[in-house]
Amino acid sequence: MTGRSGEVLVFAESRETCLELLGKAREIADTLGAQVDVALFGESTAAWAHELGGWGADRLYTVEDPRLAGFSVGPYTDALVELLKRTGPSVALFAATKQGAEMAPRVAARLGSGCVSSCVDVRVDPETRCVEAQAMIYSGRGVATYLVKKNPAVLLAVPNTFARKACGARGLEVVAFQPTISDQRVQTLEVRPRATEGRRLEDARVVVDLGQGVREADGLTMAQELADLLGGQLACTRPVSSERGWFPEWLGLSGKRVSPRLCIALGVSGAIQHIIGIRGSEFIVAVDNSEDSAILTQSDFGVVADLHEFVPALVEVIKARGLRLA
Amino acid sequence: MKIAACVKYSLDVAEIRVDVPTRKLLLTGVPRKLGNVDKNVLETAVMLKEAHGGSVHALGFGPPEAKDALLREALAMGADEAVVVVDPFDGGLDPSATAAVLASALARMGGFDIVVCGEASDDDSTYQVGPRLAESLGWPQVAYVRDIAVEGGCVVAERDVGAYSERVSVPLPALITVTEETNTPRRPTLMDVLKAKKKPLALWELEADLGITPASLQEAATVKQLGSEAVIVSRRQTVLWNKPASDLARELVELLVQEGVLEGHDP
Repeated sequence: MTGRSGEVLVFAESRETCLELLGKAREIADTLGAQVDVALFGESTAAWAHELGGWGADRLYTVEDPRLAGFSVGPYTDALVELLKRTGPSVALFAATKQGAEMAPRVAARLGSGCVSSCVDVRVDPETRCVEAQAMIYSGRGVATYLVKKNPAVLLAVPNTFARKACGARGLEVVAFQPTISDQRVQTLEVRPRATEGRRLEDARVVVDLGQGVREADGLTMAQELADLLGGQLACTRPVSSERGWFPEWLGLSGKRVSPRLCIALGVSGAIQHIIGIRGSEFIVAVDNSEDSAILTQSDFGVVADLHEFVPALVEVIKARGLRLA
Repeated sequence: MKIAACVKYSLDVAEIRVDVPTRKLLLTGVPRKLGNVDKNVLETAVMLKEAHGGSVHALGFGPPEAKDALLREALAMGADEAVVVVDPFDGGLDPSATAAVLASALARMGGFDIVVCGEASDDDSTYQVGPRLAESLGWPQVAYVRDIAVEGGCVVAERDVGAYSERVSVPLPALITVTEETNTPRRPTLMDVLKAKKKPLALWELEADLGITPASLQEAATVKQLGSEAVIVSRRQTVLWNKPASDLARELVELLVQEGVLEGHDP
């Protein structure tokens, strides 16, 4: 191993989340005059890893091991804890995905470190290396500032929060790391990937968000027509996802967060746990049959109507005027 | 099989109000209840007991009032015993402290085969306590379990990881976390509640019962909250109503055109 280890380590779960975390990691490292490490595990090193130098990484630690072929908390925790002990950064950044959230606290527990969930910002004191993290609390009702008392500060960053930043060509040092992996108690018997449409909801410019107020029989077709007309994508609340099986994923605190130009919420009640998923939208239109619905206070334009009458009327007006998203 | 169900007497987050001028979160007087996911925790534990025999022990770290919720919910749903370890900091410490207290209480109760937790609490939602507790116990964990069976000393579980789902097997003892989708919690009847009153329900003190001094717990906390403020949402809140759908549609479209969200295009 050559050179000085980084002060910030990014755990690369996927290319998308890694580039976002690198944007923040680079910013922190620059204030410290320090370097950024990335940890990437797998049976072999993903091809995209070699472009990470252009996104702010100084060093890439790869662990190539058949036991890390699929994500499993036990072996991944073993490998990452050993790497963090070796490199001793002030901050270890994870994406607050389901995988991140089951692994990062366990890594922190083994290191005796502090862990902050749902982070939206991070600051490291250049003198003391004290880490302060801002995180969402109470389903996004508030933001709290935390001082991490024991480094490395293990931080779970909310996806879609930090911006990726291209850094120009930078040398990326690649270091093959070989940890001791002992925890293999959980055996994976079968993995079933979800069918994806190929378009990321996070990239959608229009999102039509379906709540329980949408009729089961014909609501989906109606909403799809509206989404197609505006070049948008459909999404839903957690209860709709779990009870109707229309979509495997949902928007909200425990699901995805989107930031389209326009979000049209249909029959969505407006529970705070869901609102946090659409709060980043530039404009929110809500359609609900109750004038007391909480969603109306969270929207730019609210429509109190039977959405099964209103949406076809809306489609008709948009078509008649030949409108599209500006 | 000895089964632990770790539950939380949570703040009802929907009831948290905001003082807009000061950006303060108004937490005083916010009602508390056993969290939604905690009922799925209890349902999972009781179903395991019904399928494999044994006993269910509900455990929480919280205020003394949690006792009543544990009686009406946990014991009435079918837990055999409930223990509340009284939190002198009333939720003010970090998840590492909660995990340390739960681990200590589980050790005192002794001999568990499986510990069931919610994926995250209703109010703090850190997702940390389950994994941290598993690490304290030195046990493997299986998070986000949708379906579970115990076969030949192993847990076989179906779990949902977002981008994919998988079936895993892990030898007992193990910790699992469940979600609101895992099952439909049973609703206890009045008779269940009356029967529950005969079951053991204890309040434990940190120092007297677990030998943990509040000062040492505070000292060991790895994260300290410095402050918080409300997120103020300022949407226009323009509401259109009381007209035929076609009129409302025309009005909405006009507003979206005025705001530059929609525009005409030449066919």
